[in-house]
Amino acid sequence: MLERLPQPYTDHMDSLTTTTLAALELLFSGNSELWEIIAISFRVSGVAILVASPPALLVAFILAYYEFPGRRLLISINSTLLSVPAVVVGLTLFILLSRQGPLGEWKLLFTQTAMVLGQIALAFPILVAMGHSALQACDRRAWETARTLGATPLRALITIMREARFGLMAALLAAFGRIIAEVGASMMLGGNILHYTRNIPTAIALESSKGEFAQGIALGLVLLILAFTLNAFLQHFQGKGQPA
Amino acid sequence: MTTADQFNVHYLKKHYAKRQVLDEVAFSLQAGQTHLLSGDNGAGKTTLLRILAGLEKPDSIQIDLGMGPLNWRHVKKALQQHTLYLHQHPYMFDGTVNYNLGYAIDAKLTKRERQRQIDKALEWADLKQLSQAPAKSLSGGEKQRVSLARAWLKRPSILLLDEPTSNLDQESRHRTLSLLEAFKSNGTATLLASHDPMHFPSLIDQHLRLDQGKLIRIDDQNLIEFDQTHPNFRSTA
Repeated sequence: MLERLPQPYTDHMDSLTTTTLAALELLFSGNSELWEIIAISFRVSGVAILVASPPALLVAFILAYYEFPGRRLLISINSTLLSVPAVVVGLTLFILLSRQGPLGEWKLLFTQTAMVLGQIALAFPILVAMGHSALQACDRRAWETARTLGATPLRALITIMREARFGLMAALLAAFGRIIAEVGASMMLGGNILHYTRNIPTAIALESSKGEFAQGIALGLVLLILAFTLNAFLQHFQGKGQPA
Repeated sequence: MTTADQFNVHYLKKHYAKRQVLDEVAFSLQAGQTHLLSGDNGAGKTTLLRILAGLEKPDSIQIDLGMGPLNWRHVKKALQQHTLYLHQHPYMFDGTVNYNLGYAIDAKLTKRERQRQIDKALEWADLKQLSQAPAKSLSGGEKQRVSLARAWLKRPSILLLDEPTSNLDQESRHRTLSLLEAFKSNGTATLLASHDPMHFPSLIDQHLRLDQGKLIRIDDQNLIEFDQTHPNFRSTA
């Protein structure tokens, strides 16, 4: 197959194979710089999900279980926020956090905290939308049975979350997958500083621009493996959430 | 019970869109008695039960608490303390029968005490052999027994049942009826909604019928004290 292709294509294939092998070697040799970037990525995105989940799931619950004026408008606004590009979220927060911005005094720009804030803003609408769907799909009798059996609203809420856990887990995984792979907000808010705010996507962008494809591909592989793992879990949880 | 063994409801009104489902309904429930609530489909039986369970807000309601007029928040709290509502198709939480029964027990009790109570409930409802079975996979009759066992653990003053024997085979119906007899002998007031009174021949002390938003007393056993002076009260007896 390869010998039938024109020369430039085979060269590219060779180059891709060589680079991928170099990337794998880099990954499994325990390159400290590479693994530090991976650790920063997981730390920032993990914190963002942990902070965003409780309020987002509470909003999802309120939207799913309560009727109030403006509810549909809120759902529409949240759906719109789902399609806002990460770079726009990054730019908005950049303006707010920059020295002349209204939150400039906080001195958060180019810190991991700023990256966390950007990722929270990206994860929140996903968690609300998917959480809302999962909770709305949960039988309303679950809430009523819990309440009529004497559960406090908080205990009933925890019960509902437990009943809808597979759908909610899918929401968490989808949101985590989205924010760990985004580059726009992290680049603008973190500044891609080595050992501090350089995460997987910003490192890939930088290494590729320098022509250092091996490290870029190694990091890309980590994202691919992560995406595969998350999707496998997603399939697992969504499958469990289906009625028998 | 709002008095020692009587629960009085007055001026219960509820409408959906332009339809008055409950029109100044007034009635009393007596401890240790079973009250059948019949009516055509859509007559408002379920709505009445759900309001009494505090799950749905009425347009107006008065219950005697000896505290003067109360707002819905207080009435709802009082109703939730006194009543327990069982859906037509009981909901089983994801977990074993054991887990489902444990849900009805005070979480502050020790694990051992909780299990002791669960075991008693399993025995009461003849569910011992199903204690570790996934509750969602049970048959309709078994789910009904689990939901009654949960209610038994809560020991409410008033039990509200929505079509408890619909879609049950004869054996399951008999078992459900014998459990309802046990509630009755324990002094629980039961309000049981059904479109078919013939399902409960020996259990019923009083038959009420909802017709176009009005409550009608079918028989005249005087086991429920009605607000007979109210203009919307009619008796067919």
